[in-house]
Amino acid sequence: MDRLTRQLTQLAITVFGIVTVTFFLVRMIPGDPAQYMLGDYATEEALATLRAQLGLDRPVIVQYGLYALRALTGDFGASVVTGRPALEEILSSLPDSALLAFAGLAIAVVIGIPLGIVTAERQGSWSDLLIMVVALFGISFPVFWLGLASVLLFSQELKWFPALGASSGGGFLDQIHHLVLPAGVLGVSVAAYITRLTRSAMLEVLNQDYIRVARAMGVPQRRVVWRLALKNALVPILAIVGVTFAWSLGSAILIEVVFSRPGIGSMILKAVSARDYQLVQAGVLVLAVAVVLVNSLLDLAYGLVDPRLSAR
Amino acid sequence: MVGTHRQQRNGVTRRQFGGLLAAGALVAGSGWPLGVAAAPPVLRVRIGSDIGNLDPARIFQIENQTVATQIYNGLVKYDEASNALVPDLATSWEISGDGTVYSFALRSGVVWHKNYGPFTSDDVKFSFERVLDPQTGSSYAGQLASIKSVETPAPDRVVITLKEPNSGFLHKVSAFNQGWILSRKALGEIGEKAYALNPVGTGPFVFQVWTPGREVRLSANKDYFDGAPKVEELLFRVIKDETAAAIALENGEVDIFFGLQQPEVIQRLKGGGQVTVLDRDANHTINLILNTSIKPLGDVRVRQAISHAINRKALIDGFFKGTKTEASGFLTSSFQEFTNDVAAYPYDPQKAKALLKEAGVGPFTLDLVAPGANPYDKIVVPIASDLAAVGIDAKIKVLERGAYLQARNKGTVPTCVTGVVGAPDPDSPILSMFAKSSFPPGLNTSHYEGVEDLIAAARQAQGDAARKEVYGKIQAKVMGDAPIVPLYADRLYIAHTKGVSGFVQNSLFTMSAYPVVLAG
Repeated sequence: MDRLTRQLTQLAITVFGIVTVTFFLVRMIPGDPAQYMLGDYATEEALATLRAQLGLDRPVIVQYGLYALRALTGDFGASVVTGRPALEEILSSLPDSALLAFAGLAIAVVIGIPLGIVTAERQGSWSDLLIMVVALFGISFPVFWLGLASVLLFSQELKWFPALGASSGGGFLDQIHHLVLPAGVLGVSVAAYITRLTRSAMLEVLNQDYIRVARAMGVPQRRVVWRLALKNALVPILAIVGVTFAWSLGSAILIEVVFSRPGIGSMILKAVSARDYQLVQAGVLVLAVAVVLVNSLLDLAYGLVDPRLSAR
Repeated sequence: MVGTHRQQRNGVTRRQFGGLLAAGALVAGSGWPLGVAAAPPVLRVRIGSDIGNLDPARIFQIENQTVATQIYNGLVKYDEASNALVPDLATSWEISGDGTVYSFALRSGVVWHKNYGPFTSDDVKFSFERVLDPQTGSSYAGQLASIKSVETPAPDRVVITLKEPNSGFLHKVSAFNQGWILSRKALGEIGEKAYALNPVGTGPFVFQVWTPGREVRLSANKDYFDGAPKVEELLFRVIKDETAAAIALENGEVDIFFGLQQPEVIQRLKGGGQVTVLDRDANHTINLILNTSIKPLGDVRVRQAISHAINRKALIDGFFKGTKTEASGFLTSSFQEFTNDVAAYPYDPQKAKALLKEAGVGPFTLDLVAPGANPYDKIVVPIASDLAAVGIDAKIKVLERGAYLQARNKGTVPTCVTGVVGAPDPDSPILSMFAKSSFPPGLNTSHYEGVEDLIAAARQAQGDAARKEVYGKIQAKVMGDAPIVPLYADRLYIAHTKGVSGFVQNSLFTMSAYPVVLAG
């Protein structure tokens, strides 16, 4: 219970801080939502009317006070452009973002962890070198390049998968069919990080005394690696997986653009360029909550992986 | 060694699949729409960015306008092919001898989408008065400013009285922006705010649902007065990247590629031969605006020198790979009032230098201000080097869109890039770019006031010949004074699959899905 209260307090403080900073930051960028909305032909009167309707004619600090009061009641304002509740609009793309992040990470874990283990086990061998070089490429290649290249290969040439990464009202299999390429690209680019991280975590553990003892006692190599070493190397790997998940919820913008997928990242980008203040704030709020939640879940997971950590 | 590597890869593939299945289970749990097979013919159209507002009083941007084109009607409309004004909701109209009273006979039996009842003259009155009401804050109030009163003697008759004759008035009430008619009842019940994405019209398609960042879904209006559309559903899909959109078109994932602009993608689709690529002159030119209130741009010789210094042909052939056309003025050939009998500024660096010398201007610095959007942020580069060749030190300043609009609105930028996209109504670019009433915060960043008397004369001109003459004079005067440099006439490209027939490309930078027939 105590732990829950602590985490809730942490959540509240983080969200409050982030939303406050965002509130003032987006208002500091030059540009005007009224101008964006009304376009090139806007007259000065029309701009003034709209600014007044949106409350943008008041001092920023007053705007902030009003926003904070309403936010306490769960009202995060309406999108300047569409007039719809900002939070609702952001949440409408949460499933798309979560699905992409989840599927991408699943692929990354499935590729990255075994490769990391194999390379750590055979440190200095040709296979280690080869995989590390490939992983370096994976890290160095920009994700939009990988995305476009995969569209050209798998969609245009081979016609295995659609070029559009989001299905439109199709069935379950259709959804999966559309998801393969974007999730694959995200997965492969993240897998490179996970491979390298797993490798160094494993190397550290494999050089420890207890592993040497286990080997000396004749414990089979398979058991040494998978049971004794991996379990201890798992905590940093879990950390990077969790952080990457939270990160890709909001930062998979390039993948979303290349594959024409809706998502929170592109939604926030759109909102920033339209100076849709409320939408930016709602987007950042959702991401902040997601990051804090993922970290809380990770805390729990650490305890499961390594009982010493939950005793703390 | 190779063998083990293989095994590893195969193993991964199986587990990868497992991961996807797990991801799929998550979708199933989240209650997404599942299992509906697309049975009825759906026309899928690519749009380059998301929509945001479909309220005719506030509408802006080609994606919004394109979706709205399917939903609304105007009193009159532009014929897609010829740009002539033809009947839409009005079947006929009479103009009084002095040119101030327009009396429209309205189509009867027209009903609003979603059971909002019959369309009547009261809706016309409501729509125009709403745009004019300062409370609405419409950007298009100025377009209808000549209206004195709107009367409704009968449900199928509307009489509009003007403050003074305005020969271009029919353009203002044509099916575009402020000319689109909405329902008094629908707006009242839906409310101002929610209406932006719950539009109700009389057009061939009924707005159904907008999924942010993904798509807009419309259904066929079976009761459409000209007959039901030939497709059941119309889907606008947001696909930002043009390369991805091209592949999606060739793969048959979309049927029509709207807003095709990148020269490389145009060439690619044309070369591939799998799809049909249409092109047509747009109604707008892209212009480099010169601020005449800033030294030394106040001197006409300096502005003419700049016009001579820019190699526009090289820009079109090189950067645009021939996908744009040369502009002789600020109107394009798609305007009925167009003339090319104006001062021409062929590329001639020597003449430019001579003009600068004649004006007594030594080397000076000029900021080229452009929005950070393709192609404007790129075309300023060759322009800068052309200017450097005649001794003008051009500094490129690319601003993010919001910051650019703000800077241009202040009117203090020495140059900027402007194109007035829209209807083939010559008043639209002329009033926006060259009338004193459009001084910043309007689009007259030139601070040009050389055609005030001609603008007044154009309003009075009755009959096509008289109009053509006075608009010809305006074009000649402006091009002589050179407050702007027309960089190129935009050309519009749309591609569609071979399964699409009946499609007619317009010059408004929108499209109508109504005539389209889908094969198979």
